[in-house]
Parts: sequence; C-alpha cells; structure tokens
Amino acid sequence: MSIILTDLVKRYAGEAVVDNVSLEVRDGEFFVLLGESGSGKSTILRMIAGLAVPDEGSIVLNGRDVTRLPPQNRNTGFVFQNYSLFRHMTVAENVEFGLRVHKVPRAERAAKRDDLLALVGLAGFGRRYPRQLSGGQQQRVAVARALAFSPSVLLLDEPFGALDVKIRGQLRRALRRIQKSMKITTILVTHDQEEAFELADRIGVIERGHLLEVAAPAELYRAPKSELVASFVGDANLVATPSAGGKISIGELEIPLPDEAGARERAGSWAVLFRPEDLVAAASREALAAPVLGEGTVEDIREKGASRQLLVRLDPLPGVWPLKREYGEAGLALLVLLPSEREASVPAIGQKTWVGARDYHLLPRLPWRLLLLVDDTARSAYAAALCEKVAVTAGARLTVLGGAGQETSPPVVKLRESLPASDLRISLAEGGLTQRALAELERVGYDLVFLPGAFGSEQERLRGGRKGKADERVESGEIAVQCPVPMLVAQGEPRETRRVLLCTAAGEPGKLDVLLGAQLARSLGARVTLLHVEHADPRWGPPPEEGPGETTATRRARAWIERHLEQGLRTLRGQGVVAESRIRYGEPLSEILAEVTEGDHDMIVVGAHRERTYLDAPERDLVAGLVHRADRPVLIVKGKVER
Amino acid sequence: MAETARSLDGEVASGIAETGAEGRTRPRPGEWVVVGIALAYAILLLFAPLAALARGALSRGVRAFFDALSTPDALSAIKLTFLLALGATAINTVFGVAAAWLLVRDRRFPGRRFVNGMVDLPFAVSPVIAGFMLIVLFGRTGWLAPLARAAGVKVLFAFPGMLIATTFISLPFVIREIMPLLGEIGEEEENAAYTLGAGRWRAFWSVTLPGIRSGLEYGVLLTFARAVGEVGAVLVVSGSIVGLTETATLFIFRALDERNAVAGYAMAMLLALSSFVLLTAMEWIRRRARSR
Repeated sequence: MSIILTDLVKRYAGEAVVDNVSLEVRDGEFFVLLGESGSGKSTILRMIAGLAVPDEGSIVLNGRDVTRLPPQNRNTGFVFQNYSLFRHMTVAENVEFGLRVHKVPRAERAAKRDDLLALVGLAGFGRRYPRQLSGGQQQRVAVARALAFSPSVLLLDEPFGALDVKIRGQLRRALRRIQKSMKITTILVTHDQEEAFELADRIGVIERGHLLEVAAPAELYRAPKSELVASFVGDANLVATPSAGGKISIGELEIPLPDEAGARERAGSWAVLFRPEDLVAAASREALAAPVLGEGTVEDIREKGASRQLLVRLDPLPGVWPLKREYGEAGLALLVLLPSEREASVPAIGQKTWVGARDYHLLPRLPWRLLLLVDDTARSAYAAALCEKVAVTAGARLTVLGGAGQETSPPVVKLRESLPASDLRISLAEGGLTQRALAELERVGYDLVFLPGAFGSEQERLRGGRKGKADERVESGEIAVQCPVPMLVAQGEPRETRRVLLCTAAGEPGKLDVLLGAQLARSLGARVTLLHVEHADPRWGPPPEEGPGETTATRRARAWIERHLEQGLRTLRGQGVVAESRIRYGEPLSEILAEVTEGDHDMIVVGAHRERTYLDAPERDLVAGLVHRADRPVLIVKGKVER
Repeated sequence: MAETARSLDGEVASGIAETGAEGRTRPRPGEWVVVGIALAYAILLLFAPLAALARGALSRGVRAFFDALSTPDALSAIKLTFLLALGATAINTVFGVAAAWLLVRDRRFPGRRFVNGMVDLPFAVSPVIAGFMLIVLFGRTGWLAPLARAAGVKVLFAFPGMLIATTFISLPFVIREIMPLLGEIGEEEENAAYTLGAGRWRAFWSVTLPGIRSGLEYGVLLTFARAVGEVGAVLVVSGSIVGLTETATLFIFRALDERNAVAGYAMAMLLALSSFVLLTAMEWIRRRARSR
C-alpha cells in the first residue's frame, strides 16, 4: 500500500470539511477522488502532501508515517490546479528545481530534465518562460516538474480544470501513459466524471467530507452501494418499493431479495437502480423482450449521437415511487437509452410506449438515521423513550444532541445502555443547541428527528424557567420551521404507544406519510388507524349514507376515498402492521381531535404539505393546530422524505 | 440577412478605426487647451525651480560650484546624509520584508489589523513630531535613556538618533510596495517549492523574493530618496552640529542663513541630481516590471 489514510479529519472554523476519511491506495494505482467543489477532496490531497495539517487521523506513505512531517520531507509530486509554475524561471529551471534543491549534479540534472520534457512532449521548450506557453503546455511542465525528483506518489489537484475540452482529452491520455510507464502511485482530484472514469483504476466518491464509496469505475457505475453514489455517477433511474414475500415487484419485474438480508430488512422497502441502458422501450409489450415495467408516455427525446435518450413517464405503478420526487407529477419518469440504429421503433414525443427492464441493480439497504434532541425538560425524556424504542427495534443509527449538562441525565444514560456504541453518537456541548441541531440537519441526511414538544400553554409554562438557559433548550418551533425531514414531536403525558392515528386528511403528500407511519408503528409495535376526514360543513346536515338515496357525486367521492384508503391499508399490511380505516366528515382539525379521544390513540401521524412548518402559529395550518391541541406525540411527515 | 449583418459589422469596425486614428493624429482645439495647461503647470512648478537652482549654483562658475561642495563641512554633510540614507534603507528593507510577510501571510497573528494600520503612522505624523518623540524617549529623563546610557550609546545629537529618526520617517515604503505583490503571487508557488523539497528559506530566496523583486526595488529606492531628503525629524534630534551631525539638507539651510548662496545652491543641485538618478532608476524598474 503506497498511501494509507486513517480516520482523517480536517475542520475549518469548527466545520468538518474532511470527516473520518480512511483510504488505502495500492502501489502503482491511479486513484481518482471524485466529488463536487467544496466536498473536501482537495483538502485530502493537500493533507497528503503536507500543505494542510489534519486535525485527527494519520497519513502513511510507503510505510512511513508522515502525518507530522513538513511537505519538504514527504517526497510527493504535486500538480496544482493553477499549475503554480515559478513564473520568473524558465521551463528548464522549473523542472530542475526539485533536483537542484536535492543537490543533484548538473549533468545528471540536465539529462533528467531533457528526459522529462521529452516525456511530456515539450522537448526544446526549456528556454521559454511559463508565460510564453499555452495552458496545456504549462500543465505539462507542472507534471514534469512534479515528477523530476522521482516522488513516491503523484498528486494532481484538478489538473485539467482550466483547459478546453479537446486539449483535456489529449492530456488525459498523455497522463495515463506517463503514469503507467513510470508505475507511480497517483491520486487525482476532479469533479469531472468522464475524467474520473477514463483515468481511474479505482474511484472514491466524496461528498461533504465523507468518502461514500470506493470502487473500480465499472463497479461504481453498475453496482453502487448507495443511492447517493448511484445518482451522482452517471444517469440513474432510482425507484423504491416495499418488499413482499421475500421479493419486490415493479410491474412484471420480480427481484428476489438477497439471502443475507435479515428478517427486519426483508420487511422494509428497497431501492432499485435502472441505468438508462438497462431499460428498453417498444410500441408493444411483445416487442420488449424483457420483463415489462409498464406503459408510459414519451415526454422528451435527446439525441446523443451513438444513442438516443427518451424520457418516459410511466403510468403510476401501485406501491412504487421514484426516489427523486418531482412535485405535482404522477408516475415514474424514466430515462431510457436506445441505440440509434433502431430508427423505426422509436416512438415520437407524446406517444405511448411500453418500457421493460433488461437489467437492474438492487441497492443495499441503509440503516435508519435518527436524530434526537434532548434538554432538561420532561418532554425530552418522553422523546428519548420513543426514540430508543424505534432505534432498538429498527436497528437504527442514532445521533443525540444535547446541552453540556446532559451527560448523566437519565435519557442519555439509558440510551448508552440499550444501544450498541457503534450505532450511537452523542454530542453534548455548551449552548447554541438550536443552531447545532440545524447545522447537523443541514449536514447529514436524517430519516427522522425526535424533538421534545413545547408549544402553546406548554411553552408559556416553560418560559418562566427559560431564563439564562435558553441556549440549552430545544427550541422545537425554530427547528420545525427549517427541518427538511420528518419530525416526531413528543408531547403530552408519556404513554405506551399502542394505537397510532394516521391522518390522510386535506391533501397532504399521501403515500409517504403512510409509509413512514407504517415503519414507525411497526417498530413501536402499535396498530394503525388510517383516518380520512372529508372536509364537510356541519350545516350540510348528517354525513351522506350509503344506499339508494345517495347522489352520484357523493357516491363517486366515497368510491375515491375508499380506494385511497384501501391502497393505504394494503401498504400498511404489506409492511406487517395491523391496520383499519375510518372516514369522518367535518372540519378536519376537530374531527381528528375527536377521533384521538374516541379511539384512545397514543400518537398522531400527519403529513405537512408546506416546506416550512410554523408550529408557533396554530391558526395557520392543520399541523400546527394538531401539535397545539392534541396533547399526544405528533409525527409530522415532510414532503421531502424519500424512503 | 447575413449580408446586412456583415455590412453592419463593417460599418462599426470602420467607425472605430476612424475615431481611433483621429484621436491620435489631430487633437481638437479643446484638447490643445488642456495640454497647454498641463505643460504650463509642469514648467511652472517643476522646471522653473530646477532652472533657477542650476543658475544659482553655477552663477560664479563651475569652479566655485565644486569648491563649495568640497569644503570639509560640505563633504561631511554629504557623507553623513548618504550614510544615514543607506543605513535607514538597509534596516527598512530587512524589517519591511519581514513585516509585510507577516501582515500578508499570517492571518492569525494577534494585532494584525492594528499593526497594519500603524505602518502608515510615519506618513501621518509630521517629521518634526517624530523627532520630538525621540527626544522624549531618549532625552535626559526619557524612558529609554537609562537603556542607552547602560549600553554606552549616545543617541540624541549623534548618529544613532539621526538613524532612528530617518528610519522611522521612511519606514512604510518597502512594506506598502511589497504587500500587494505578496498577496498577488499567493502561497501556491511557495507550496510548490515545499513539495519539491525546498525549505522555507530556500523557497523564500528562489521563489518569493524574485516574485516581489520589482516592488522591493521600487520600495528601496523610495525609502532611499525619502531618507536623503529628510529635514524635520533629523533637525530636531541632531542639533545640527557643523561637521558632525549636519546633513546635506541642514547644510543648505545654514548656507542660506549665512548668505552663502553658492554653497546652498550647489548642495541643493547635488541632491536634486541624485533624486533625478533615483527617479530614472524607478521608472526603469517600473517599465521592466510591466513588460513581464
């Protein structure tokens, strides 16, 4: 192993730009770190070269720990993004600099310099100054300079970033040739996928300081291990669907679940990746010659020269949803790549077409990521208890944020006892809890947040005790406004969760809250009542009855509602939850509250159809009204959930 | 359609060419007035005094000019002036580079902004006040007087005091000239040198210094010119003892006071000439830097 990075962490102003990165690069390997700008990839490279000092972790180059060594003693060849040639030196002097520093005799220096300039195709350019060269030539001088003193590793920081496309291609091939001929271990950093795939023996995908996945280019493309990588690399059609009976079905395609999946995973929903070239489109089912996904409409066609890409919107498939959601669009939008020669069979925009799948990749399931915020209120203990139960039964990874004084508080102690240390991260610090929570939510994609509730009368009561410690209290209202993921607000008297009321009233996103509600109810061991409240003015009289007196309109409405509830129940039961449905007529908020009391429900699940949730304004919407008046834990499901 | 576009382009292009040519060859009457004013201004303020100076210095012949400059007093004044200027320039060059480096590169050192602001103090404070501050510091009851006494150095009315005063008033030039250059070349070239095995010192000599060379040379010349021409601060701390602490500018002062017009003019002429040489050198440096 030429380069071994272990648990590397680098923080700027408290923010981790490189977060626990471990990586091993083999001898002579061409390794590419692929990530968007600001993902921390350049920082990793600079740490290897010694130009930045890691806050934690270690760097080993060829068996030597160089973590604390200055750049001079590491013998790395570094090619900078803007080349950073010495502008007052000639090309020859630039290339010879490293040799001169190491006191290599003049004749040897000259020979090596000529070799290198010939290698990069710049023989005879030695007397020129960098400013007299083109960008591509300067770049090649930078490579020659970096290679001069036979470095143990070659590090390149976006070396082709400032060049035009054609020259980039030439230089890439040249670099690859040089790297192979010298057998030098190389790390190149880039945001350009094409570049990464063309050059790399292996690619590491990095996002927000995390190394997501390391694999050979083909494997990264064909069999990524996470949704993030799947959608980052190339075009991806990602759909999710719950499993049933040890397999999942999308249209007529049936995918058996891997044998190693445990019982818990088998019951959940899975994500499937179809690359555009995995899909086929044809005018009839029979012409597909592949398992049929469904029928759809061609929305767009893009010519790509050797191939052509169709955007097909599939008619909705029951229980299958896209992982990239488009608001207000029904059905699955799929990219289908067809070879150009099949001219005759290509449908036009607006035409119907059948789509089939020749290949697919089942993504491994990731554990749930939960975030719990605790302070010293009684509601925190309730939130922690609910969270603990979910985390234990769902095998979730949990992060706890709290004030500095929470170390010995009962909820924290209990969590430490009941969860394995590998699944638990506890971060307790002085002050700024709300800001820390928002920053954490910004940084990590959580599936669910547990908050202690403190609103309305509750909040009034707390306000007296808030003085001086406001910084250490969870300001749930503040967090709720910006929180992009579902949150469970723990409030009311702590109680065993036996019955969950799942509200599908008033047009919130629908399937997502059913799915998340089902997962939550399952992990809490609760049964679910699926409630639909049909908005009706009480003055209109009693709710319409089934029977001959019913008008066509109300019969249609009832049929629609029943179908909706039927689908919901199917989903719930498919996830292994005992469920029943209810329909009520009237003003949604008061009807839900009435149902909570009548049915003795212990928790309410409701979808929030606004991007921001103002829990401090009960008059503004149903969700805030519920949180204020229900006196029960409320799970608010935001539209962005993708699981 | 394509043709219209082409003819339009042609028109625009020829229009530009015409105005360009006109602007260069035949200035309009209004421009003559402006040029005239500028010329008159230059002649009145720059060349007339110089001409008068030359006429005064040479009024009794070339011989008298050289005689006036070769008296022991004059020679000592010239020697002292250039010694002071050289000393102050050397000090300000070394410390100026170090200070500029610190101010540009080390963003964390405490009081960076304060020091950055203080650098310009010598420009803001009258040289006479600068001299006075030295008196307060090194005078009989001054704060640093015991220190100087212990070291056996006579500061006031002697060379060390004059050197401190001259250094003080010419301090900002080097720092201010190289700071923008240091910022512009950035750290990446130095980093490149580090990764190639160069130590800090090596990187500084072979990478940083060549990068800031033009600014440094310019700053050094400005420092020198300023040091040569200084009167106020030196006057206060030197006591202007003839043959001992009398600089060239003070010499002129005294000569005019004693109605020894030729000596005064001659010395003034010498200083003016040295300034002229310095100015030419600076212009050359600036051009060379621009051509890079």
